[in-house]
Amino acid sequence: MESAEDWLVESLRLYQDFHAFDLSGATRVLEWIGDKGVFVAGYESLKKNEILHLILPLRLSVKENQGLCPERDFKVCHGGFSDASVFELKHVPDTRLLVTTGLPGSYLHVWQVAEDSDVLQAVSTIAVPEKEGGLWPRVAIFSSMAPGVLHGVRLRSLKVVDLESQKTTYTSGVSDSEELSSLQVLAADTFAFCCASGRLGLVDIRQKWAPSETISPRAGAAGGRWCAEVGGRGPGPSIASLGSDGQLCLFDPRDLSHPVSSVQCSVSAPSPDPELLRVTWAPGLDNCLAISGFDGTVQVYDATSWDGAGRQVEPLFTHRGHIFLEDNQTDTAPLVTTHTWHPHKSRTLLSAANDASLHVWDWVDTRAAR
Amino acid sequence: MPEIRVTPLGAGQDVGRSCILVSIAGKNVMLDCGMHMGFNDDRRFPDFSYITRNGRLTDFLDCVIISHFHLDHCGALPYFSEMVGYDGPIYMTHPTQAICPILLEDYRKIAVDKKGEANFFTSQMIKDCMKKVVAVHLHQTVQVDDELEIKAYYAGHVLGAAMFQIKVGSESVVYTGDYNMTPDRHLGAAWIDKCRPNLLITESTYATTIRDSKRCRERDFLKKVHEAVERGGKVLIPVFALGRAQELCILLETFWERMNLKAPIYFSTGLTEKANHYYKLFITWTNQKIRKTFVQRNMFEFKHIKAFDRAFADNPGPMVVFATPGMLHAGQSLQIFRKWAGNEKNMVIMPGYCVQGTVGHKILSGQRKLEMEGRQVLEVKMQVEYMSFSAHADAKGIMQLVGQAEPESVLLVHGEAKKMEFLKQKIEQELRVSCYMPANGETVTLPTSPSIPVGVSLGLLKREMAQGLLPDAKKPRLLHGTLIMKDSNFRLVSSEQALKELGLAEHQLRFTCRVHLHDPRKEQETALRVYSHLKSVLKDHCVQHLPDGSVTVESILIQAAAHSEDPGTKVLLVSWTYQDEELGSYLTSLLKKGLPQAPS
Repeated sequence: MESAEDWLVESLRLYQDFHAFDLSGATRVLEWIGDKGVFVAGYESLKKNEILHLILPLRLSVKENQGLCPERDFKVCHGGFSDASVFELKHVPDTRLLVTTGLPGSYLHVWQVAEDSDVLQAVSTIAVPEKEGGLWPRVAIFSSMAPGVLHGVRLRSLKVVDLESQKTTYTSGVSDSEELSSLQVLAADTFAFCCASGRLGLVDIRQKWAPSETISPRAGAAGGRWCAEVGGRGPGPSIASLGSDGQLCLFDPRDLSHPVSSVQCSVSAPSPDPELLRVTWAPGLDNCLAISGFDGTVQVYDATSWDGAGRQVEPLFTHRGHIFLEDNQTDTAPLVTTHTWHPHKSRTLLSAANDASLHVWDWVDTRAAR
Repeated sequence: MPEIRVTPLGAGQDVGRSCILVSIAGKNVMLDCGMHMGFNDDRRFPDFSYITRNGRLTDFLDCVIISHFHLDHCGALPYFSEMVGYDGPIYMTHPTQAICPILLEDYRKIAVDKKGEANFFTSQMIKDCMKKVVAVHLHQTVQVDDELEIKAYYAGHVLGAAMFQIKVGSESVVYTGDYNMTPDRHLGAAWIDKCRPNLLITESTYATTIRDSKRCRERDFLKKVHEAVERGGKVLIPVFALGRAQELCILLETFWERMNLKAPIYFSTGLTEKANHYYKLFITWTNQKIRKTFVQRNMFEFKHIKAFDRAFADNPGPMVVFATPGMLHAGQSLQIFRKWAGNEKNMVIMPGYCVQGTVGHKILSGQRKLEMEGRQVLEVKMQVEYMSFSAHADAKGIMQLVGQAEPESVLLVHGEAKKMEFLKQKIEQELRVSCYMPANGETVTLPTSPSIPVGVSLGLLKREMAQGLLPDAKKPRLLHGTLIMKDSNFRLVSSEQALKELGLAEHQLRFTCRVHLHDPRKEQETALRVYSHLKSVLKDHCVQHLPDGSVTVESILIQAAAHSEDPGTKVLLVSWTYQDEELGSYLTSLLKKGLPQAPS
């Protein structure tokens, strides 16, 4: 308790703003809908999970006169019940539909946000052709007049299914059995994939399978599990790939053969659950990334002057809230399950941990003060 | 049909006018009597016409219960009791009784003096209303009358706030008022035992929210104060003596100590005296930590916080001042505000809701130019911050409380049904209770099946056992007796005992039926045939062959006699008392079918 009070006092200078919430169940999902709402969902295997559509506290959305707005609470706008655990949730842009995936991995579930009720309705399911014990399909959405769901457990089972007709509109057509760890739609016809091995590729679905990819095996990626994210603002490389031992590689999409830079993040131990690894680019800051999944922290890095390989780097900021504000005196330290950046407020992030905590924090860039 | 009926009163879906009518086992109770602060006309009062249509309120209502001193729960009480008319008892806790009249009087002054309202309740009405109050202690069972009893439980939220259990016989309802499941710095958390009421009524205003932690709210407060003080500004915090003041003081004191800050913090003296007085009176209502420190020292004896003198307001440099009243509508806090408003380095932090018409309400609406007395215009350049510290239960809190009390059903008031379907499903699934959400003015009827305990006399039980057959736990058994209802007591005794107790003579009714049988043999043989036949057919009954030749089936007697004129015909006399009518008729029709041929 003592250290919690100390941290709170410290936090006055570390954060511009800070909110801490307790969800009824831990989430691995933080998916934006517009810029005022997020989805969270439970991932328990033995009981019903809740999927919640939360509206951000008014105080965070209000642009002027923030001081006159006392509302600091999330509002549950819609809620639904899922028998399956939810590991990933994607909102289909410009619709009232959501797609969820998790274990058991034999189906993707499609939900609808109702107009006249606050209950999320299960609408349909999409069968996953390749069913495998402990693996679950990754999902990404091609949004267009007829939205398509890109999903797959392995490279060979990658396909795009039309959401309405459920007809398959694209398949990878390869026999490669490498396991996928992330999928990301980049444009109307392109997507990026990252395999657990670290192999990265950019695919144009108008052509037969011929991705622009990293050299296999990925240099320096032996062992460990990898994830990746394409994004970033600013002139630098825009693909970040994070490994379970804390290695972070940056790639230029125009030439995936070699990473532009490769650094070692300040993590004390490899990730205890590499499926929770997450690397994200800040939408409002140049060359700024956040990582989580190693412990109870979220680390923010400035990648501007990174070069070469193997250098140890220090974070610009470390969010320790989940460790210090932990209420249930359990022995196990909390583990951050996911994090995401606010679409407009450049230094605001949301982060969730396995103790069902959810934080919204706006960190202070101490360099600006100097 | 035993049932519980609940009607939330008041027009519209708006929050802020708590008033709920409950009918339980023939008793009528009104829960809270709040005012809606947003309206200036009759819409601010609950709709009492629902009750008054049926005659005098005092005759209809058995009692009124007030949960705590917030105006949206007691603001309409003087209007209700003195202007509409109610003379029955009004129950509330001791702190609520002490603090209510202060708030009501404050509110009255603002309404009449500031807003010039006519037809508002007077100071005398407040006094007359409070004369009808009966104060209760926590966990004390209070008999309202022979049948109706109430009990208060600690609710947290504010000093004196309580949840009430209303019980008539085996039926009960629990009303939560406003409560908080997480402890404060100066109040504990709500608590109730596993009382298993038929119904739990709770406010659902915050049911669809997920609350920001107390620590983060406090952090925000500290940050704002710190920023203002760092830049040399003065911070004014208008408070109500018995509200958040103490909470915020403890917080600032801790912070000043840890950060080694030097800027002075002051309390206006009126605040300390009044607050000390009430906290001393109601020390059991605060939490453990406060009680411990209070024993050692005066509640407002802080290291870094000193008594205020109004001359200090002109001192240069940073400072923090807690002053009353809370809505900046008069007195010291308004005086200080006027002095400090013109400097943008200064800050005013409003820790709660402000009633329309007050300066507090105006600045919280964003007004930067205020018209004061004598047409003077005050320009507000100071920073205005609105913080909400009031503690309410959110969805998680409601689930926790329902888990503690284990009601059969839950009723949520003040929510919009369409926006709460998910919560309803969640409560029904996770806690396995039915969930109701009536709109204001809509009545919910809950059927109940109260168990009525009846004492069975030992003699009656013994007699039944003597019939011979063992009781079967799975089969109902028909029992004859007399139910005596006396002094809320139910007894089942044998008819004879009842007659004796009532001093009445017993009359016996006996039916006798003649069944003719063709049987040339002697009567004794016919009787034996009858016995064998009935014994084999009536396996569930006690069939006996008596030494005098007659056959009994339980208490029914069958005798065989010769026909006076026809030796080939035997006459069976079947005789039974009216209690055995059913069996008697059955036996008669059975015997009329004849006896099976005797084996040779």
